[in-house]
Amino acid sequence: MNDDFDARVADLKARRQRNLAMGGEEKIAKQHERGKLTARERIDLLFDAGTFVELGLLAQNRDGSDTAPADGVVTGHGDVDGRQVWVIAYDFTVMAGSMGAVGEQFKAARVRELALRYRKPIVWLLDSAGARIQEASGSTFAGTGWLFADQVVMSGVIPQVAAMLGPCAAGTAYIPGLADFVPMVKGTSSMALGGARLVKAATGEEVTDHDMGGSQVHCYESGVGDNEVANDADCIATVRRFLSYLPSSNTEATPVVETGDPADRPVEGLDKIVPANPRAAYDVRRVIRAVFDGESWFEVKPAWAKNIVIGFARAGGQAVGIVANQPMHKGGVLDSDAADKAARFIRMCDAFNVPLVYLMDVPGFMVGSQVEKDGIIRHGAKMLYATAEATVPKVTVIMRKAYGAGYYVMNGKGYQPDTIVAWPFAEISVMGPEGAVNIIFNKQVEASDNPEATRAELVAKIRESINPYLAAGWAMIDDVIDPAETRRVIVKSLEQARDKKIDRPWRKHGNIPV
Amino acid sequence: MTEVKAELVGNVWKVKTSPGAQVAEEEELLILESMKMEIPVTAPRAGTVREVRVKEGEVVKEGQVLVVLE
Repeated sequence: MNDDFDARVADLKARRQRNLAMGGEEKIAKQHERGKLTARERIDLLFDAGTFVELGLLAQNRDGSDTAPADGVVTGHGDVDGRQVWVIAYDFTVMAGSMGAVGEQFKAARVRELALRYRKPIVWLLDSAGARIQEASGSTFAGTGWLFADQVVMSGVIPQVAAMLGPCAAGTAYIPGLADFVPMVKGTSSMALGGARLVKAATGEEVTDHDMGGSQVHCYESGVGDNEVANDADCIATVRRFLSYLPSSNTEATPVVETGDPADRPVEGLDKIVPANPRAAYDVRRVIRAVFDGESWFEVKPAWAKNIVIGFARAGGQAVGIVANQPMHKGGVLDSDAADKAARFIRMCDAFNVPLVYLMDVPGFMVGSQVEKDGIIRHGAKMLYATAEATVPKVTVIMRKAYGAGYYVMNGKGYQPDTIVAWPFAEISVMGPEGAVNIIFNKQVEASDNPEATRAELVAKIRESINPYLAAGWAMIDDVIDPAETRRVIVKSLEQARDKKIDRPWRKHGNIPV
Repeated sequence: MTEVKAELVGNVWKVKTSPGAQVAEEEELLILESMKMEIPVTAPRAGTVREVRVKEGEVVKEGQVLVVLE
């Protein structure tokens, strides 16, 4: 017998046990009362059963005391659908999940370092009061903040997810600000650059963390959050779903999943979804569900800038990113928020080798004094830039309207689509016939004895020239297709472009308008 | 009370409700015409129409109150 050996192993086990107990039963009960799961329960949901490997379990408060088990953050890796993913999970039961020196400078930093070293996705489970002010309120602040610089280096290399499961106040709100995907739990999560108490001190404004930065703000108004979810379990399921469409890093191809939906299936029922009246609205998400594989549609940012729809789906098992105009909201017109929403999504897909499918039905960019004050040229230019810059396979289906710069940013001919096709009733034009007559034939109409009749005649004449066979006749588009063929054309186009390689001139980086 | 506002500038093309009408969530209240499109304005929730503040043919600004529900 080696008593000392056994005693030391027993001591190790006791130390582990203490830290696995997090902030203790009382704090855990309180966490559950708030409708939240603990950091460890969340990790169990995130990873395939039994795959979590923890690093830094024995970490403690920097003063060496046992006041902060694991220093308030659980870190390590595990598998999501059999693929390695790294996690940083803040433990609200320990000092309100506040970020301490050990947890941040050693534990979280190590996860960032290793995730990048192995080129694996990183997930933050955020439920934290922010920096531990007891440790961070002096000018040693000078040495902090490099976590965001790390995130910028990771951007476009490994997928980054910031799941909002509780508060995320102050500078740490830049974690979601820089992440690729930000689901938010309704009611319990919030993010703000200054928490409520700091806001009161700094400006006098009285507001709660929830009112200022809950999902009702960020998933509906600001666009900082992506998808609002009902509870912690839904949130984690949404994170897993998001990751299923992406490769582990930018050096890999997107995973292909057998969906059992035939690649050549004719798309039924589009005539009942898309109205014959070209001015009438419909829900483009019904078109997406009809065209793509079974239950594969996963919408991102569904509640913000609803005039454009973005999200992932599968086409013959291949993951794709979809950019679709939404006639049901604002007639599908593009405005600043819609352009921002699309541009960021397009760049994410391009960074991670996810092919893009553009479903076009766009009356153009919004015009007028209000949108010019909003800076629509600057915002619209982001979408133009993102589409032109993207070198992943790009397929364009012109369903109905294709007007003005809207046609360009939705991957028109000039933006190197791998395939560009139109439905028979497509309207491709710089502007509608009424607008064109007002500009081109204004004098002729004014000089006419019967201006209205002359105007109507000219409008009818121009309308005749807006038809897809003119574009197809010039071979500016590849084909005009029966809408029922849309699915087959998309799947075939993705196969056609599988070995796509585009070389562009060397540069440090472009200068995207922001 | 809920104010239903125009989400973009345009003409009021058709008014499909009137004060006192009971409306369901998502029911069409009126249709705007803008950017070559007919843009339905729907009730954000079920309720009774208290006021219709616009007439057909009127030009409305973004954010202008069109209908008041209670």
